[in-house]
Amino acid sequence: MENFKETDLKQLRPGLWATVNERYPGSMITKTDFVPLARLKKPLPESRIAFISTAGVQPKNSLPFDTVHPVGDYTFRRVPSRSKPEDLEIHQLKYPTVGAKRDLNVIFPIERLQELTEEKIIGELAPNFFSFIGYNMDALKLEQTLAEDLADAVEAEKPDGALLAPA
Amino acid sequence: MMGHHFGVPRHKELQRRIILEMLDFLTTATRSGEVKMLPLKWANARQEGKEIERRLELKEV
Repeated sequence: MENFKETDLKQLRPGLWATVNERYPGSMITKTDFVPLARLKKPLPESRIAFISTAGVQPKNSLPFDTVHPVGDYTFRRVPSRSKPEDLEIHQLKYPTVGAKRDLNVIFPIERLQELTEEKIIGELAPNFFSFIGYNMDALKLEQTLAEDLADAVEAEKPDGALLAPA
Repeated sequence: MMGHHFGVPRHKELQRRIILEMLDFLTTATRSGEVKMLPLKWANARQEGKEIERRLELKEV
């Protein structure tokens, strides 16, 4: 690990995490085995960028995420990066979607990323973005199934960099 | 703000700025796990967003 000490860890909202862990034991974890920092190997205007979100955004008519399962849904959806907001919908109950329903870009900024690509600030977008729901109460299962499957799927898109965004 | 990590509805400039900050961090982050706090206030963003929406609605009339 690059210059990283455990004492550097700062939980931004420790009180909140303690409360959630009291209600759902083990669901909020602190990891200290961060992967080494990966740097872009080429300039951004030459790079292919992927976007991965926990916002539960998916193409209309794709299988909806199971938002009521007690331990969560460990699947992900591909979202074509050329999609228009009107092609997409949100299946997620665990964050306020009032803003996203008026403008999806507040949580899944697909139009802004398309614009930055048209302006050549970004080289290109990966053919697909990815989304899943953040309500997954079994952290180990999340790491061993969804995270592994998603990493393989993202890698197959051959991005040079990826932006990960929570909801 | 939960559900609004890229700003407020119709505030393209703010949404774009947040993405550009993310992209910049791809090259300027010094170590894994580093957090960069942006000098943005939710109250200000919300107010700016309301003003933008008000102007857009006026334009559409």
